[in-house]
Amino acid sequence: MTTNRAKILVVDDDPDFREAMTAILTAASYGVVTASNVSEGTRTILSERPDLILLDIMMDSLFDGYSLCHAIRTSKEFECVRDTPVIFVSAVRQIAGSRFGFKGEEQGLAGPEDYIDKPVKPADLLARIERFLKK
Amino acid sequence: MTETTPLVLVIDDEESMRDSCSQILLKERYRVETAKDGATGIQLIRTLHPAVVIVDLKMPGMSGFEVLESLPGIDPQIVAIVITGYATVDSAVEAMKKGAHDFLPKPFTPEALRIIIGRGLERRRLVLEAEALRKEKQLLEEHFITMVSHQLRSPLVAIQQYFEVMLAGLVGATDDRLKEMIHKANERLSALLRLINDWLDLARIDQGRFVGAFQLLDVRKILDRLVDLMTPSARESDISLDWAGSAGPAFEVLADAQGLEQVFANLINNAIRYNRPQGRVRIDLRDEADSVIIEIQDTGIGIAQEHVPFIFDQFFRVGRPGDKIPKGSGLGLSIAKKLVEAHHGRIEVRSELGVGTSFTVRLPKAAVGGSATGGASA
Repeated sequence: MTTNRAKILVVDDDPDFREAMTAILTAASYGVVTASNVSEGTRTILSERPDLILLDIMMDSLFDGYSLCHAIRTSKEFECVRDTPVIFVSAVRQIAGSRFGFKGEEQGLAGPEDYIDKPVKPADLLARIERFLKK
Repeated sequence: MTETTPLVLVIDDEESMRDSCSQILLKERYRVETAKDGATGIQLIRTLHPAVVIVDLKMPGMSGFEVLESLPGIDPQIVAIVITGYATVDSAVEAMKKGAHDFLPKPFTPEALRIIIGRGLERRRLVLEAEALRKEKQLLEEHFITMVSHQLRSPLVAIQQYFEVMLAGLVGATDDRLKEMIHKANERLSALLRLINDWLDLARIDQGRFVGAFQLLDVRKILDRLVDLMTPSARESDISLDWAGSAGPAFEVLADAQGLEQVFANLINNAIRYNRPQGRVRIDLRDEADSVIIEIQDTGIGIAQEHVPFIFDQFFRVGRPGDKIPKGSGLGLSIAKKLVEAHHGRIEVRSELGVGTSFTVRLPKAAVGGSATGGASA
């Protein structure tokens, strides 16, 4: 299946969520790559250069979504993908942040372009992606 | 603060006493500081944070007793040992009453001093350990509730995610009846998720973790914003919201914005939900002496007198006939009541079956020139 639209990376440790996002995004003719944890996500970002990243901020590892986003914005390693739009996906808005209960912005970490709650409504997700890719 | 070599502070007006204590303690490889009067001693306690302080009871100027009395305000965990040439049972008892851990009559042998210091440090170690364990327990409790809530939510959210994809028609053609059933199943999941959220809120309120630091807030602004937010859903239910609007005097309270919003949102939601078709919800804001009064009145089905005492209980719900699936979680009013009380306020209900219900929240007015201070501590 060829697409001439953008490529989206989905980083989430839940395979069901990756499958659901893939269904939504491919139906809208986006290319999709997935990663199931932050280190795989890092490798994939650098190798695939996605046009937008959907990032779960409640994954299992200590070095969670917030840190990855911050790294993309600030570290040398990610310089080539510095401006890739990132959308945080969260299962629980109020506990936004890792399982260890921290709030990224309050810790001085660079934030994402946007937040979206699970469950993600397809129309909502696609509208936001359109908005960020247009920029 | 990590304990390295313990620091012992010796407060005594006699130089010979300070010197001999120092010698004994240095030999035991403690760190030692000395002070020749109470005032200097207290200064050193503030700046150097010794683990143990040895203080002479009888000194010119500030006495040992006065030093003892000031210790809880500076370092409640410091171990105080009193020494005195006038060793009487009375002074020993009084020193202990004022918080001394031990009592050493002069003259004393180096061995006696060593033993007493050793005991004092051991006690301090236990006190610090107990404090650390208490903090750890609290942290675990806080995280436990969050973790359980997360474990409960995740699978439900995953199911809903699949439903969303199905409802968008992305996995094959779906006929209307199928969509309708998926939609209903989704609604049941949403209700369950709301219940979990509410339960989490309740647990956090109980732990004193929900309500944040208090700020000076204008209740009128909060209500105005809420009414704005909730007007669309009220309209959907064919209910009109009757609110005086943003014009009018400010009514200031010391409160946590999110907490107050939740209270009023819960009350207004209930008023909409338990109303009659084309009914009204009136939101009234006024003051009375020291209180700000918020009244939320509906033209709804009302509550029977025998149910009124239980209305704020968790999961208490009055079912309407033909109402198999209750809309709320059953926790909304419990949460509202706890939040109001966390704000040092009161909530009351008055109702008449078939006529309507009115909830009245009373909050203490912020004192003129009031400032933001700490919030509720449970």
